Amino acid sequence: MSVLDATFTALADPTRRAIVARLALGDATVNELAEPFDMSLPAVSKHLKVLERSGLISRSRHAQYRPCHLEREALDVAADWIEENRRIWSERFDKLDRHLRDIQRPAKPHEEDQTR
Amino acid sequence: MTDHPAGADELIFTRVFDAPRDLVFRCMLEPEHLTHFWGPAGVSTPLDKISVDARPGGVFEAVMVNDADGSAYRMRVIYDEIVAPERLVWTDPGSGMTTTSTFTDLGGRTEVRIHQARVPAPMRAPEAQAGFATSLDRLAAHLARLASNEGGTI
Repeated sequence: MSVLDATFTALADPTRRAIVARLALGDATVNELAEPFDMSLPAVSKHLKVLERSGLISRSRHAQYRPCHLEREALDVAADWIEENRRIWSERFDKLDRHLRDIQRPAKPHEEDQTR
Repeated sequence: MTDHPAGADELIFTRVFDAPRDLVFRCMLEPEHLTHFWGPAGVSTPLDKISVDARPGGVFEAVMVNDADGSAYRMRVIYDEIVAPERLVWTDPGSGMTTTSTFTDLGGRTEVRIHQARVPAPMRAPEAQAGFATSLDRLAAHLARLASNEGGTI
């Protein structure tokens, strides 16, 4: 599984999205993250492990409560993918528009766009 | 390109083309047309590298070649549905993402609507897109809202 797949898989779960949203506001401990959810600490820990494996969060090895930290660069990778997807369809449709004008030109003699 | 508000697991692009629906539909299905536009800017899709098996379960495959450095990317999806001239549905077996192209006759002009479903979470709604692209705080608010609204289901 690619890094990007792992990122998207991690964010496919609403609880994990909420955890990411909380961490966007600042680092937090497992207890703090578990508080808003009606979930056991082990259940929350499981979600944190998925997020950690995806690279979206990191956890301090040293501090006593091992606070969780959002790795914003991993989110940027996802953002780049979204923009890429949008750009591809936009540019593809620009080209389709030109292609349709080209092949219909005899029927529409006053077309102005001469680009190919 | 217009991005419409979409549901939680989908992303939609639309574009209106000044051409009849039958023709626009054929452009999205036939290699002779696809070769003219399937690659984005700076990327070619050679005709001999496009294969279309136009039936449910058939494969749509295309190699896109970067004009600048010659690097190639192979796209391979499986058709789920082909309803001429109204609808094309395919699924990418790698990501599980399903793309539905809907062709609407606007009286000589044609609206093409690209609906991507089972989209990876960050792509899902315009707020999320904007959040990822511009402001992590907006994303955070959106994610929190999704989480509280969805009640644990996607």
